[in-house]
Amino acid sequence: MKRISHWIAAAALLISGAAQAEPVTLDIWTIDRPDQYMYLLKDEFEQAHPDIKLNIKTVQFRDMVNDLARATATGESPDVTYIDNPEVALFASRGLLLDLSAMLAESKVIKKDDIFPGPLSSVTWDDKIYGVPRGANTIALYYNADMFKAKGLDPDKPPRTWDELYAAAKKLNDPAKNVYGLAFSAVATEEGTFQFLPWLQMAGGDYNKVDTEGGEKVLNFWGKLIDEKLASPDTLIRSQYDSTGTFNAGNAAMAISGPWELPRMGREAKFDYRAALLPVPRDGATRASALGEGDNVILAKSEHPKEAFILLEFLYSKMPDVWNRFGFVPAANVQSNNPNNPAIYAVFEESMKYARNRGPHPEWPKISKAIYTAIQSSLTHQSDAKTALAAAQKQIDGVLND
Amino acid sequence: MKRYVLLVIGLMMTATYLFPLYWMYLTALKGSSEIFQYPPTFWPSDPQWNFLEIWKNRDMGRYIWNSLLIAIGVTILVTMLGTGCAYVLSRVRNVWMEIALFAILMMQVLPSSLMVTPIFVMFNQIGLLASPRIAVILAQTAKVLPLYIVLCRATFVQVPRELEEAALVDGSSRIGAFFRIMLPLARNGILVTSVLIFLQSFGEYVYARSLIAKNELQTATVGLQTFMGPNANDWNGIMTYAAIYVTPILIVFMLLQRRIVSGLTAGALK
Amino acid sequence: MQGIIRTIRDGSGFDILLLGLALVYLVAFSAFPIIYNIIMSLQTVDMFTITSFKRPFVGLENYSTIFAQPIAATVLWNTVQFVVLSIVFQLSIGFGLALFFQQDFPGATYLRGLFLAGWIMPALVVGAIWKWLFAGDFGVINYVLTALGLTDDRIFWLSDPNVALYAVIIANIWLGIPFNMILLSVGLASIPRDVYEAAELDGAGPLERFRSITLPLMRAQLGAVISLGVIFTLQQFDLIAALTQGGPADSSNVAQYWSWQLSFQTYEISLGSAVSVLMILFVIIVAAAYVRSTRHEHSY
Repeated sequence: MKRISHWIAAAALLISGAAQAEPVTLDIWTIDRPDQYMYLLKDEFEQAHPDIKLNIKTVQFRDMVNDLARATATGESPDVTYIDNPEVALFASRGLLLDLSAMLAESKVIKKDDIFPGPLSSVTWDDKIYGVPRGANTIALYYNADMFKAKGLDPDKPPRTWDELYAAAKKLNDPAKNVYGLAFSAVATEEGTFQFLPWLQMAGGDYNKVDTEGGEKVLNFWGKLIDEKLASPDTLIRSQYDSTGTFNAGNAAMAISGPWELPRMGREAKFDYRAALLPVPRDGATRASALGEGDNVILAKSEHPKEAFILLEFLYSKMPDVWNRFGFVPAANVQSNNPNNPAIYAVFEESMKYARNRGPHPEWPKISKAIYTAIQSSLTHQSDAKTALAAAQKQIDGVLND
Repeated sequence: MKRYVLLVIGLMMTATYLFPLYWMYLTALKGSSEIFQYPPTFWPSDPQWNFLEIWKNRDMGRYIWNSLLIAIGVTILVTMLGTGCAYVLSRVRNVWMEIALFAILMMQVLPSSLMVTPIFVMFNQIGLLASPRIAVILAQTAKVLPLYIVLCRATFVQVPRELEEAALVDGSSRIGAFFRIMLPLARNGILVTSVLIFLQSFGEYVYARSLIAKNELQTATVGLQTFMGPNANDWNGIMTYAAIYVTPILIVFMLLQRRIVSGLTAGALK
Repeated sequence: MQGIIRTIRDGSGFDILLLGLALVYLVAFSAFPIIYNIIMSLQTVDMFTITSFKRPFVGLENYSTIFAQPIAATVLWNTVQFVVLSIVFQLSIGFGLALFFQQDFPGATYLRGLFLAGWIMPALVVGAIWKWLFAGDFGVINYVLTALGLTDDRIFWLSDPNVALYAVIIANIWLGIPFNMILLSVGLASIPRDVYEAAELDGAGPLERFRSITLPLMRAQLGAVISLGVIFTLQQFDLIAALTQGGPADSSNVAQYWSWQLSFQTYEISLGSAVSVLMILFVIIVAAAYVRSTRHEHSY
């Protein structure tokens, strides 16, 4: 495939008769839709760097890791690809990604010290840096201010603690009008783990220590929300995006999700929606938040590492615009250009300070699976929270001590 | 009278069965949060007609062309390889044929998602990935050939043996009898099975996704996936795209299959 | 040389040639991947050694690991239910519809053609639509059931562990109907009308005619449709991925989805291959039963 693109490039050169150097074509893999990040930036990049062409292929999120592994094994890998935060360690630990440390030290565009600690840790393995964050995201509590008013709650004082969250959900819950108090996701995928971890971290615990009292408290709290039908039982099988869809449609009064919801919410939510930080277990408790989005990495086998790094620098330079254009929160300390929804932006920006990376661990998927399995078996009452978390801990220990 | 009662019952059953299809069209016209609304709306509150836009923006013509090429290629290859084999398996009865039939059925045993990695490795070795659409045709043919053989074989079994024997007695060659007697009499089954194979190959996804690296050569089902973004699936887009893709095929095959099951009478055979 | 040409034109060479073409093709393109999977189930494989052959053999260790997993029994029982219920209903509904549309009434052939929709709609779309239809809160099925007064409470089709598997089965039956119905229609059409007419003159009722004519003459078609149906059902993946992801808490997990989870979600590829080989064993039984059944099939 590379050979063909070279050939085409050479032919183009012949026709134009120009004496320029042969343009380099970079193969790019991404999870974006044609109306998202990489596709939108492609034209701008090619204009700014006429000597570098981009050949973009979209790979589904759930297939990315497998396809990349197979491609690296058969020598068909791209030059630059997207990798989800928790998977960087997997590829870095195998030596499949290019160590960017030296290039970063000399870069005039990317300042390593500007990158927030959470995103930085997601691209760091063994003290070396293997990627540059595209941006970041995290989760917060969206709420329907109109419903707050209608139920006599103060829309300027959204729930700050779990108790307040529960009380608000109970008050806002209105089965006769098909309104649930809260929408969130406990689905049996990475998304379930993603939503659960910050709760666990706030209550005491982390991905490597889940069988804590805090962990039980979280699961029992979630269980209470579902058992009392303050949140839909379908929370167990619904992704964050689908859950928030019910919020937009006016069938849930609050929703826990990330900034990626905003474009759709702006179009379709016909009410005053606002956002607040994720509630804490009790006043003064340590905050935590999830860290999402992914990273741009260069494959170790890339034949054009220099050009690929130019692309990474270019993408990084768009950080001040990522909020407005792509729905990411900046992953580095930069000034955003006139952010839309400034109040909500402020919430997510603050939330980023508490965002913690998942892992890093090369076998993250097994850890994640242990966690979401525990969530599911506890919420369906197949086992109580303590037993479920103990089983998860046993599996996690097996992975960590391997 | 009875015919119209049957018609009404038939209409009701078809309508029930097609409800998911209706829901696909409906969702294509709905706003993306309206999908999650209760009570559900059976008619869009604010219909959005994005069909032309989706067709143009997503370059659907090119995707569908690739799908067509692959589906046609697979169907031709499968009918050429499979028809004769199905005929032999229906006519000759001995232990070897049973073993062959068993082996053929077993070749269908793994789903594409498990077949694709070894196939990828193999095709990569022999350089087939350089012509990815052919690679998909070859892989998909292997996937559906057993299906075709087993189904066509059943059709050949139903053709009376005496007819072929009579032709042979009259001095026809085996090849002649096969083409002049057996094929015409089994044409219903061959046609229907080919249609099923065609449609399935048109919708093939796993091989196309894995074996085709260039976007220009991708198929319609892979194009459909490009509406699935990180944390954000454009369901209206997906359903609009699917409606554009499903409707013409459905109409063509509804008309086509009408001819298929016209029914035979024994008198016509003798 | 002449002899070879003659046997191809007129003798068993003709049979061997036709059979050989297909078999050689299948062995070239399908046998290798299948053997590859079997070998992987006996080795330690991870994502990065998936394309090389130098991998340590571990004997049957992967199989014992699989059976030691707490969910193995659940998955096995779910798979049996999934396959048996899907096949029984797909076949009986499909056969019923084929018989119904065999009757002479206006538009019968057009209506039958419309059933192909289930075969044409892309898997992604089918999964999404059934997910919405089954949704506990906003789903149409609950809406209709409560509107008709059939249930008081909403049924959480996909998130109630006691129901989820059956919801997936219902969607799978829907998917399988066109295949059964269209192919059985072909079989029915090739039974000559005068056979029935003769039986009717002899005083055989509709049931008797179905039992003594239709069923025996449809034997080949039924055998083919059932055995292929089992194989399809065992490969049904998209629907489970879209509807429940095997959940909640593995209550709707079946072998093929579990195999996929192991291979492609937690990257335990040896274990995933071991599950797929166990499924091959199951298909061997079905295939053997089918091949045996062909000894009794006949035309009229």
